[in-house]
Parts: sequence; C-alpha cells; structure tokens
Amino acid sequence: MTETALRTAPFDKTRVLAWLQSYGVYAGVAMLLIVNTVITPHFLTAENFRTQAVQVAPVVIVALGMALVIGTEGVDLSVGAVMALAASVTALYLGYGLLPALLVVAVFAAGAGLANGALVAFVGVQPIVATLALMVGGRGIALVLLPQLQDLHNPALASLGSGAVAGIPYLILIAAALALLIAFVVRRTTFGRQLLAIGDSRPAAQLAGLPVRRVLVVVYVVCALLAAVAGVLATARLQASDPTSLGNLMELSAITAVVVGGTPLTGGRISIGGTVAGAVLIQLLTATLIKHDLPPSWTQIAQAIVIVCAVYAARGRGKR
Amino acid sequence: MQRTTHRPRLLARPVVVALAAAVALTASACTKSEDDASDDKRSSTAAADTEQKVVTPKPGSKSCTIDAYGAEKIDLKNATVGFSQSEKEANPFRIAETQSLKDEAGKRGVKLLTANAQSQFSKQISDVQDLLAKGADLLVIAPLNSDGWEPVLRAAAAKKVPIVTIDRKINATPCKDYVSFIASDFVEQGRRAADQMIEATGGKGEVAILLGAAGNNVTTERTKGFKERIAEKAPDLKVVFEQTGDFAREKGQQVTEQLIQSKPGIKGVYAENDEMGLGAVAALKGAGKKAGAVKIVTVDGTRNAVQGIVDGWISGVVESNPRFGPLAFQTLDAFTKGEEVPQDVIIEDGAYTGDNAKQDIGKAY
Amino acid sequence: MAPPAEVLAVRGLSKTFPGVRALDGVDLTLHPGEVHALIGENGAGKSTLIKVLTGVHRPDAGDITFQGRPVAFSTPMEAQKAGISTIYQEVNLIPLLSVARNLFLGREPRTRLGLLDFGRMHREADEALRAHGVRVDVRQPLRTLGVGAQQMVALARAVATDARVVIMDEPTSSLEPREVETLFSVIRRLRESGIAVVYVSHRLDELYAVCETVTVLRDGRRVHHGRLADLDRLGLVSTMLGRDMGEVRSEGLTKFTGDHHAAAGEPVLQATGLTVPHRLHGVSVGIRPGEVVGLGGLLGSGRTETAKAISGALPLRSGDVVVAGAPLRGGSTPAAIRAGISLLPEDRKSEGIVPGLSVRENIALAALPRLSRFGLVSEARVDAVVDTFVRRLRIKASSPHQKVGELSGGNQQKVLLARWLAMNPKVLLLDEPTRGIDVGAKAEVQKLVDELAADGLGVLLISSDLEELIEGSDRVVVLKDGAVVGELTGDDVTEDKLMRTIAGDPPAPGAVEVAATDD
Repeated sequence: MTETALRTAPFDKTRVLAWLQSYGVYAGVAMLLIVNTVITPHFLTAENFRTQAVQVAPVVIVALGMALVIGTEGVDLSVGAVMALAASVTALYLGYGLLPALLVVAVFAAGAGLANGALVAFVGVQPIVATLALMVGGRGIALVLLPQLQDLHNPALASLGSGAVAGIPYLILIAAALALLIAFVVRRTTFGRQLLAIGDSRPAAQLAGLPVRRVLVVVYVVCALLAAVAGVLATARLQASDPTSLGNLMELSAITAVVVGGTPLTGGRISIGGTVAGAVLIQLLTATLIKHDLPPSWTQIAQAIVIVCAVYAARGRGKR
Repeated sequence: MQRTTHRPRLLARPVVVALAAAVALTASACTKSEDDASDDKRSSTAAADTEQKVVTPKPGSKSCTIDAYGAEKIDLKNATVGFSQSEKEANPFRIAETQSLKDEAGKRGVKLLTANAQSQFSKQISDVQDLLAKGADLLVIAPLNSDGWEPVLRAAAAKKVPIVTIDRKINATPCKDYVSFIASDFVEQGRRAADQMIEATGGKGEVAILLGAAGNNVTTERTKGFKERIAEKAPDLKVVFEQTGDFAREKGQQVTEQLIQSKPGIKGVYAENDEMGLGAVAALKGAGKKAGAVKIVTVDGTRNAVQGIVDGWISGVVESNPRFGPLAFQTLDAFTKGEEVPQDVIIEDGAYTGDNAKQDIGKAY
Repeated sequence: MAPPAEVLAVRGLSKTFPGVRALDGVDLTLHPGEVHALIGENGAGKSTLIKVLTGVHRPDAGDITFQGRPVAFSTPMEAQKAGISTIYQEVNLIPLLSVARNLFLGREPRTRLGLLDFGRMHREADEALRAHGVRVDVRQPLRTLGVGAQQMVALARAVATDARVVIMDEPTSSLEPREVETLFSVIRRLRESGIAVVYVSHRLDELYAVCETVTVLRDGRRVHHGRLADLDRLGLVSTMLGRDMGEVRSEGLTKFTGDHHAAAGEPVLQATGLTVPHRLHGVSVGIRPGEVVGLGGLLGSGRTETAKAISGALPLRSGDVVVAGAPLRGGSTPAAIRAGISLLPEDRKSEGIVPGLSVRENIALAALPRLSRFGLVSEARVDAVVDTFVRRLRIKASSPHQKVGELSGGNQQKVLLARWLAMNPKVLLLDEPTRGIDVGAKAEVQKLVDELAADGLGVLLISSDLEELIEGSDRVVVLKDGAVVGELTGDDVTEDKLMRTIAGDPPAPGAVEVAATDD
C-alpha cells in the first residue's frame, strides 16, 4: 500500500529540496566565485586559484575516502589521526629516501584501515565507535613516534610539496587524479556497485551474496590510505612533520565536504563531484572571510549555516 | 524477523591486538630519520646565560613570607617537590619548561615528582591531589586554567604545602592560597614585538597579525600589547588583517597564503608564536617571495625561529622564556628559609634580532 | 429498518500528485455499524484515500462530512481526536515503551497530582488486551511482543479511543489464524456498538467473512460499490482488475495450473537434519528438479528459518545441505549462491530490494561478478541481462534507471526474481512471493513459478495463502514448532488435509475434500 504514496509523493517542495541536495553545492560554488570576482581584489588571478586549489587538495583527498565510507552508511573519525601518523612515519623513515618512507607510511595506514575495517565488519562495532578508538589512539601513536614538530629537508619531499608540472602543482594533479579514480571506481567497478548496495541495505546485500565484510574492510583501508596521502602531501608542503596539529579536525572538514556535496549520511549514494565541490565551497567560503579580514568566528558560523542548509536539503529525501 | 546474523569472529580481536603490537614493534625498530645536524646542538643548550632573569620589582610591590602564609620552615634539600605540567610535552615550550625544572631539581639534589595533565583540567586537579598524597612538601604548578582550583588549594592548605604557579596565573588570593606567580608579561611581549616591527618596517605601511588560538589569554594579551604600542609609537603602521593561525604552523601557512594573495602590499606579519611565523615563512617561500620582502616578527624564541633570523626570513623574535626551573626553586628556597619573596615574579624575556641571532642561537630552545 | 444517518460521507474527492492522479472524484459513504471493504490493486488509490481521510494529505477537491459536519483534518492526531482511528499494515507504535504506555499514549490516566497513574494504566491495559484475547505482561516493552501481538495492541488502542470510524489497512498481514479470528470477533463487537469499519485487505476470504459492503477503486476512480454479497469472488477480482470475467474464470483464482510437474530423478536439493538452536530441530527437505515443494505451517513454525538455513543466511548447528550431489560447505550465503541456491526473502523491503539503487542495478546485483571483467562492470552485458528480464517478467518501471524503492510491491518482487534468475539457479526458495502485491502481479508471479518448475528448477514455496500453497505445490512439507510434522503428496495436497496436519489431527476417514477453489 505504501508504494502508492512513494510513487506519487514528490510534491514541489521535495523536488526543490532534491535539486538543492544534488546541485546546491555547485550553485554555491558558482555564487561564491561571482561574488568574489566582484568584491575581492586580486581574486581573478591564476596565483589565487592555485593557492585555493593547493590548500583544498588535502581536504579533497581525505573527503574522497570519507565519501566511500559514508556510502556504506559508516563514518571514519580517524582520518585526522591517520594524517598525523603518516606525518610522523614519513619523518622517521625519510632517512632511507622518499619512496621507502612512503611505502612504510602505506603499511601503517593500511594497518590503521584494517583495524577500523575489522572492528566494523567482523566484530560488528558501530563505525563511529570503532574509528573513535583510532582517532584518539592514532594521534597518540603518532606523538609517541615523533614527540614534536620536526623540520624536513628531503629535496624529493620538498618538490612533491611545492613542485609543479606546466604551472599546475603536483598537489592539485594528485588530488584531481584521485578524484577521477574514485569516481571511476564508484561508477564502473563491481566493487563500487557492491559498496553502494551494502550502504543502502546491508541485510539485502548480505542475502544477495555480496562479500559484505570484504568490501567494508577494503573501504576503510582505502579511506586510511587516502588520509595518509593527504598527510604526506600536507607534510611535504609544510616541509615539516607536525603530528601535534596536522589533521586536527580534518574528520569534520571531510564529513562536511561529503555531506554538503549531497552524499547522504544514510549510505547507498555517493557523489564524488559533489564531494569535491563541497570541499571547494568550504575553502572558498573560508578564503572569502579571511581575505576580507572578518573575525574568525564568522568562518565557523558561515560553515554552520552551509551545513544546516545541506542537512535541510537532505532531510526532504532522508526517508525512502 | 530474524536478520542475518554476523558471526563475530573471535579471531578478530587477537588479530587487532597482534596488529597493534606489530605496529609498535616496527615503529620502534629500524627507523631512520634525516640526519639533522641541529640535534647535536640541542643537547648542549644548558648554557648558564639562558636562565631567566627577574624584572626588578617596583618598590612597593607586594611580597610574601612564610609566617604570613602560615607554613612551616623546611630545608629545601630534604624536601619533595611536586610539579604538575598542564599540556603534554609536544611543543618546544613545554618540553623546555619541564626539562628546566627537572634539571634544576637534579642540580640542587631535590626529589621531584612530576605529572602531566595532557590538556585535561580534571586530570590536572587529580594530578595535584596525587602529588599531595605522594608526600609533596612543595608544589610547582603550570595551570591549564585559571579557575576551578578551590578543591586543590583547600587540600594543599590543609597540609600547609606552599604553591608556586608558573606561566599562567591562578585566580585566588596570593600569599594565602598560593605563594608566588612566576611568568612572563605577555602584554609586554606584544609591546616589544611591536617595537621590533616598527624598526623592521620603518614605522610605515600595512601589517597583519596571525592570532593565536581564540579564547586564550596569551592571544589576547600579546595582541593588546602589540596594538597599544603601534598606536602609540607608529600611527602610520596600520594593522589591516587579523586572522587566527591557532598557534599551528600549517594554519599559519594557509592564512598567510590568503593574506599575500589579497593584500600583495603587506609589509609585515606579526605572528603570536614561532610556529605560525614559520608557517608564514613557508607561505612566502611558496609564493616565490624573497627573504626579508615581508618582515616577520614572532614571539617565543624557539631554535627554528632564531634560525629563521639567521637565514634572513624573520626580522625579530621576542623571547618567552620557558626555563622556570632556577627561578621557581630559588623562590621556594628563599621562602622556606623564611625570607621575603615577591607575590608576582615577572621574568625579563630576551629578544633575538639580526644583531644577536647568530651568537645567541644556542640559547634558543 | 430505516438506515441510520451516515457517519462519514465523502463526495467527489480528488488528489493529484505530480504526474499521477491518485484520486479522481471518489465517493464513499459509511453508516454506523457498517463494515465496509475497500479494495483495489496497488496504485488504485486506497492508501491515498485513507491518508486523506486521516489528515495526512489534503484533498485538491471534494468534501468530507463526518457526523453531519464538514471536516478538514490537517494532522492524523486531529482525525483521531475527532473519532477516526487507523490501524496500519505495519505497527506504528513505540517499541521501547511498555505495552500499557503504548495503549494509553496521549491519553494516559493521571493521579490527582498530575502524575501518570501506572497502577490504573496497567490494570486497564490488561483488561483491554484480555478482551481481545491477548495475554501479555503489559509492563514489558512493546518490542518484546511478537508482531501479531503488537498488531493486537495497535487494534486495542484504536478501539479504546472513542472512535466512530476505524480504518484497518491490511490488519491481518502479520497475524496468525487464531489472531485473525480474534480480530474478526472484535470487528463484530464494533459493529454491534455502532462503529463503522473500513476494511482494506488483499485476502478475499477475510472480506467475505466480515464485510457487508464494498467499494472497489481502480486507477483512482470508484468503479463499483454496493453489497458484497451481490458480487462473487470472481466478479470482485475481475472488477478490481478491470478484466474480462470469462478470462479470470477460465484461469481460476490463482495462475497455477495445478498440474503436477514432471518431478523426476535425483533431488537437486537435499537438506538433512537442519538444526538451528531454538528455531529448527532436524528439518529435512528434498526437492527434485521440476518440482514445487510447498512448506506449510503457521507463523513461527520454522518455514522462513528453513529457507534461510538452506541459503546459508542462518548459521546451522548441525545438518547438511547437498545441491545436485555436491555438499555445500561453509554455510555462507555466497557459497550457497554459487552452488545454485537463490532465496527470495520474506521481508522484501528490508532484506530483498536495495531501494536506493535502480531497477537495473538491483537486477544485476548478485550476478555482478559474472557481468564484470577485471573488476569492471561490463555495461553491455548488464544491459543485455536487464533487458531480457524486464521483458520476460514484464517489469513496469519508467526506465531501468528508476529507483526500485519507487516501484509497486509487485514490480519490486519481479525485480528480485529477475536478480535471481540472472544467476541461473538450480533451486529457488520463495518465501511469501506474493505477499502484499496486487492481484495482477500475483498471478504473473504464480505463472512464472510454474514455468520455472517446468524448465527443471527445484522450487521451495512458502506461503501463508493456503490457496496458493495448495495449488502451487506438488508436495507440501508441513512444519510445526521447528520440526517436520507431515508431508502431503499427490491427491492429499488439499486445504483440509493441510489444516488437519497443522492442527495435528489425523485426517477424518473418508472426509470429503474441499476443493481449493470452491465457487
């Protein structure tokens, strides 16, 4: 009986909200670009766009992983801690050269993701609780490994952080490549389809014979690896490993980007384009307020307003 | 209806534990960080001239004696001193502060008990109570907050244990609830940073402030002093930009990047700690600016920042000396002997500029 | 006898949703003490009509007169206060509150101090439920009760308020036969006390058992109304479907041919001694290729659990499952699926469909690894499979990209069937394949089951609809309390024998078999 209502339910308001949820973030980005072009001096310069893109790149990379996890109806609070861990490990093993250090970072990150994934998929702990453990513990480990900020002088690392190809910094290229890769995985691969099905209805996915646990573990590992990539890039840019403050509150920025981008927290749907746009939106908003030297508290309030709008738009479609 | 059950694999738990153990093992073994020459220099920092000096107290400032406080005389040599640190030793300031107390205790042969509250106030309260229970005769506290100390003060008073607070103040009655407060004058640090900025920029143009974490008295006072002095001495120097960098290098870098995009004509950046200042340096380097094109003045006096002066990126660093050990013990020693000690001990902080950075870098922490 | 004044009169009610005219000038009159059947296929407008009557939706046109006064409710609470109560298909009470609190929600008895009077509440709740044949500890949280008992609490709550009209939307879908009897006696009592009842159900037996009058909706219009007794079952069905009377008659009430399939050779599935703690105690079932084996029994007898245990979704303590001679190892769902076992779960909405994904993705879901190369989905292969099954099963969707959650129940079920047929299964376990779907889709599903069996599939059929079970199955294995209590084969597959086996009585000697379709 309820099918009738569902088939006929979309009255106008829901439609507007649905549109807002899917495309509101792009409209928001467009609006900020236009406003800034008009009111902000030196906004329309290549240099400025490069700055914004370089600053947003780590957030985008972390948010990509977060989008996958949220697509499975989960959440990963440990991404900031994994970034810090990546920073520490990079500093500790950089003596062997950049590549070996990165391999060790990957091993650590995979371990962190495996721990998260195993807790969620096998032990059945709620994602928010499972990843909370590593959010606290991960940074702890990072600080044990490297108790305080350390400057890094490796030239390869430095060029990773500030080098460019044809005027486009590596950071931006890497973030763009990863975004395309993740979008491709979500749309075109078996894994992506299975991930969405699991996020939408886990019992149904289980009865349909999907490898639910394997997919969940892989998702958390991928999320941790992406966070580690972001951690290494941020470290490379700073040319210092700062496990104390690197990635602080990154989990919130990433979740905000994902949600503002139109990916529902209830799982089953992932918008990679929206996620990237969500991160860009927050970045532009912050940049606008900073450039006009408005009090920092305004940034927080503005972010809160964007989140409320996103959640409001999502609410109309929350129930299926 | 029965939902499909997940069989929690009992294996999973040992696996996770084993994994964690493996992580810890691999982490401690065979690491190889970059060869950092400055590491060697670090160990030899205990130079005598890095000790804190007291600003000569103005005549008429209040003091305290053991009789007025109501404690008993003891010999510091045989006493146990408890030290409660507020934040974990993850930044140079806290590391140097704790180390300085430990060194001084070692030098004087005093037994020192230490505790670290890990930035949790409730933990600090219980830390201090623990120290009292373990038999501390004297307490040195680096408070995380200024308020909420009543239960601890009452417990200390019951045991007649004198308290000295360092780097932050406790809101209570001096010479009744605690003996002395030893700290830098953050407003004065701001003023001196302003002096350096005026000198570096010639007192003209637009400057920016990288604020510390919001809602922190250090931020407020360092800002206040800086602005006061600018207004007073160099009305042509305009503060056109004030954004928080949360005392962190990365945030300082990001904010400075935005700053030099939107205000290319900026002449100076006042960073309220060294880390943000170093972030500003990274931003300027990234934007292809030359060393010294934008004058940077910071507060703290860490080795990296002083090195920044040597390299020409930073114009000046106002010191905020963390080495409270000698002064704290000196105060306690005098007090327990029955001598008069001042209630507020204000430290005289040093400064680093292009003139002294090279020879004084050994003093930086 | 002069008919009493009407308690509820609806005239010219219309409601349009974007793209759909859900109600189109519908009339409905109810007199006190009248039990009125409201029927129609899915999408005919029953739900919308109920939602307009109870204040969930506002009508676009038309008026509602309740007890002689025009009304326009804006919330269900208003409607309930005025005297229109509703019992929904799915229990909509608060699972964590006690039974008594649920029963008195919003109208709790209070002490003089204004506090909740728990003593009185528990006493009265206990009395009210006993009157409906439910004996439970009313202090327990509602969720500890079975679904049937919860539905009875909802009923007791609806009746306990001063309702003049009670709307029951498929109230029996989760009730056991005994509870259905209780429900009917409650309805009779309501009738005697002059309360009008609107009764919505897909089960024709129930309609004829309790209703006097009927309104048939089709495509948002009222196509028939009058006394139910004036219309026989076939007439009713054909009015609902808008089909030719003759066609329906010639094909019987179910689409099953009733023929026995050519069941030959070794069993394609042999489950032996399935034991799941507290649920199954050594259940054995064998299915040969081309055979439809029915699984009979009451709610909670272990039918669903048997199907789930075979498909690996329920961990076994002991027992074996052998598919086409090969023992199934691991007891996991993926292993069972690889071996050729497909389960159409009972709870279509939460365990079957993936509502947010499209028709296309739902169909391809289980077969994805086969439709992929190197982990990349081959869109061409998916399209081929989806096209085949959308056409073969006549799945009605605006496009293959429509979300499954937006489809009607019948089409959702077809999508699930397509998902499994795409796997080329050897054994199909169908748990309530036609529950809650409209008559047309039901017939199609039944016909399909026949065809699949004819193609050599082994089918296990679970159905609470006795007619469907009897006509659809070649053999019926009867379960009771998690164990097999009997098996009906050949001419013994009758409703009468089934009832007796379930009840545990030996069949009466020489009992005349009651034909399944007796009208």
